[in-house]
Amino acid sequence: MSATPPTPSQPAGGGRLDPRDLARAKRDAMAVRARRIRRWVAGSALTLFVVAFLIVYVQLASGHDPALTANGERRAASAKAAARKTAVEHAKAERERESSGSGSTEAQTGSSATESESGTSTESEMGTSTESESGTAGESESGTSTESESGTTGESEESGPSSLRTSQS
Amino acid sequence: MSAETVLRFDCFGGSCGVYVEGDGGDESAAQAAARVRTSLLLWHRRFSRFEQASELSRLNADPRERVPVTPLMGRLAATVREAAEITGGLVDATLVPELVAAGYERELPPVLPPALSVALAPSRRPAGPSRERRWEQIVPEARGVSRPPGLMLDSGGIAKGLFADELAATLSTHRSFAIDCAGDLAIGGAGEVERLIEVESPLDGSVLHTFAVRDGGVATSGVLARSWLGADGRPAHHLIDPATGRPAFTGVLQATALAPSASLAEIHAKAAVLSGPDGARRWLRWGGAVVLDDLTLEVIEPAASKAAAGPALL
Repeated sequence: MSATPPTPSQPAGGGRLDPRDLARAKRDAMAVRARRIRRWVAGSALTLFVVAFLIVYVQLASGHDPALTANGERRAASAKAAARKTAVEHAKAERERESSGSGSTEAQTGSSATESESGTSTESEMGTSTESESGTAGESESGTSTESESGTTGESEESGPSSLRTSQS
Repeated sequence: MSAETVLRFDCFGGSCGVYVEGDGGDESAAQAAARVRTSLLLWHRRFSRFEQASELSRLNADPRERVPVTPLMGRLAATVREAAEITGGLVDATLVPELVAAGYERELPPVLPPALSVALAPSRRPAGPSRERRWEQIVPEARGVSRPPGLMLDSGGIAKGLFADELAATLSTHRSFAIDCAGDLAIGGAGEVERLIEVESPLDGSVLHTFAVRDGGVATSGVLARSWLGADGRPAHHLIDPATGRPAFTGVLQATALAPSASLAEIHAKAAVLSGPDGARRWLRWGGAVVLDDLTLEVIEPAASKAAAGPALL
């Protein structure tokens, strides 16, 4: 039968443990454990930070900043909402000018649903609906995105290429 | 002939428009027009100098020498450099501090009536390049832009021309299209349809001249559309003379340039205004129109680059 080797807190010659030695041994053991936990937490946090930093860094360095697109979309949407009234009025004025200028140009409806949402009289003046399969489809396809909700726009389909104006901007 | 889809909307501090006729590939004219409108509205925010969170503002404020940017921002930086190279530094989009000093800190500065602006303007002289030549320090790279920290870019008309060209490239399979970026136009299409382009008077909005264009770009630049009274009591506007760092009064009120692309048209129109009456015509090699300080109109027809003096406007 082999004897159990003495622990560090046991005197080599056997016998009863000194309570002070025992207490010191326990304190040492707790200190070792606390250091181990502390090191593990610090190491994990550092590793996590470095990994997250590298992911973000690589993403931004590659020129793909997701915040740019998201912010841009939100801002474009709010800008449209704010400018809805004036823009529709502007579009109406544009159409009136074009129709009075060219005489034969007919403004026809493109997206009745969207325009009626805007609550203006634009679409009723624009009248009818011969063409609007493509117009409506185009609008409704992207209609889920804020951009095609066309609050800022006047829309029409016209026959032949429109003349354009260039001016100082 | 199929109908043309037209979308008009407010953007770039003015009125923009998209005109598309005919399907292109899998995309209908209406879908293409909606897509172009969406892009312009997004890019307006991304490239605005007046939005602190815009990509342009963040690039301008970035303390690093080399800044990673999106591909489109890289192309804008390249176009800014190209504009200065083409014009020998006359069209210089690095004059942001000078613009701010002149009072152009907000998107819509107070407007000075054109007649008053002309009356109060100081003596006329052609603009010249800046001695600093800051634009030479812009180095567009694959995924970034290198420039000394503190050197700022102004998007201005150059960006509008660039955006019109970028989107025009995506519409080339449609029968006919036009993109109007607040006066900067890109025109084209597979059908080579001729489109009439009216040049607007800077004074009263009347039509001064009409060009017929099948393909390419048209842009107008001038000193009256955005003018205001500066802190020194003198009229100011957004076209800075690089040599003096102050708003340029050269004797040309407005120049319209035709060119193979909208961005080239924008660069040449600006250069024509900054060059003054004697030098304006050499920037209109593809055609254009110039309104001089004495309110006369000179038209350079696209086919013959020969200037014809028009009637006095007043």
